[in-house]
Amino acid sequence: MAQMETSDGGGGKHKGGVRSKKMSTRVDLTPMVDLAFLLISFFMLTTTMNKPKAMQLNMPKKTNIEEEKQDVGECQVLNVLLDTLDQVWYYEGLQVAGLQKTTFAGDGGIRKEILKKLKVVPDACPLTRKWTDLNKDGQKQDNEYAPAKRDAIVLIKMLGGARYKNMVDILDEMDITGCKVYAIQDPDPIEIEAIANGGTVKEFAKETATK
Amino acid sequence: MPKVKIPRKSTLVDMTAMCDVSFLLLTFFILTAKFKPQAVVAVDVPFARTTKAVDNAIVITVNKDGKAFISLKEKQVRFAMLDKLGEITGDHYPAVKNMTPQQKEFFSLTETWGTPIEDIQRVTSMTGAQFKEYQEKQMPGIPCDSANNQLGDWVTAARYATGGDIQIGIKGDKNSNVEYVKNIIKRLTDKDIHRFILITSLASGNPDEAAAAQSEADKPK
Repeated sequence: MAQMETSDGGGGKHKGGVRSKKMSTRVDLTPMVDLAFLLISFFMLTTTMNKPKAMQLNMPKKTNIEEEKQDVGECQVLNVLLDTLDQVWYYEGLQVAGLQKTTFAGDGGIRKEILKKLKVVPDACPLTRKWTDLNKDGQKQDNEYAPAKRDAIVLIKMLGGARYKNMVDILDEMDITGCKVYAIQDPDPIEIEAIANGGTVKEFAKETATK
Repeated sequence: MPKVKIPRKSTLVDMTAMCDVSFLLLTFFILTAKFKPQAVVAVDVPFARTTKAVDNAIVITVNKDGKAFISLKEKQVRFAMLDKLGEITGDHYPAVKNMTPQQKEFFSLTETWGTPIEDIQRVTSMTGAQFKEYQEKQMPGIPCDSANNQLGDWVTAARYATGGDIQIGIKGDKNSNVEYVKNIIKRLTDKDIHRFILITSLASGNPDEAAAAQSEADKPK
């Protein structure tokens, strides 16, 4: 124990002589305990804060095998483009048209558009596939699979000079909105030009693209 | 009737035991805490809300100028990586194969490297002061263009050295050009590495507000 025994045990020892004043040797340890716990909490908090965090990113394999490639329906696609001024541009479908500008703002920004697309696509864009076989008479006949539901696909395209922060932000949005299918691609020259023109696509650019 | 006497007890509690425990805990935390290794490459990582903790990873740091550096936490792994690198690139770059044991030891003592393979013998024979200056000022980064994809070789070697099931982290500066990071991802997909983790830090404050302020500023008046 930290405190010492100060009371007289035997008695009769102090007859005569100078009586020293009895002082308690107990020290109040409460402030010390306070301090210790303060330091503990400080160290615990700072050590956990420094752990590195990360987000997962999977890139597609390069493949030339047809079966591994996925069909992309035009109605599934939402293109998201990031420019050098921290702006987000988007359009639907595979043809560059109707580019619109938005931001990363939480409620009204790109998140709203992604959520809208995710909600609409499974019902509005079913996949119908056909297969051919021979019927009883040995004639070829076309059969159709039951329409399958498809998810939205977000194509992320970053213009050269965009900030890396924006790439992380858009991947963050993918996770927040629960978008499972997305891909990072290089932007087309037409898209770059359209953004440079403030969202309008020049007709001749379209024509050369279709040729 | 006589009153029942309630014995008076002191309200003081002996704090000694509590003090002991708290200081024990304190010493424990101080001793187990590791110092953050001095960052050779200064990088300001972006914030993100969806994150998970990283336990063990090969970290490729990309700084603002697009220089790439590789970091491995454990010394044995760095040693093993060097041997593998010698095996893989031995034909192109005899430099790694010809390294002396002292040079190898020197190499494995440093966590972060950004040196082209052809320079490695020169750098690993430097004195301490020379090397420190080199680290702080002149480290040129690992070449990672399509013609000279050394970074791919380094990462492949590091994966072999760790047994293959290690994550590959990319630590980029939030204000750097996204092309640098894209380039590195491309060079690694060339080497059949497709899964990455992007090192971020947990969002502090409200990023929505910042974005809203940005959009407010963009509006024409």
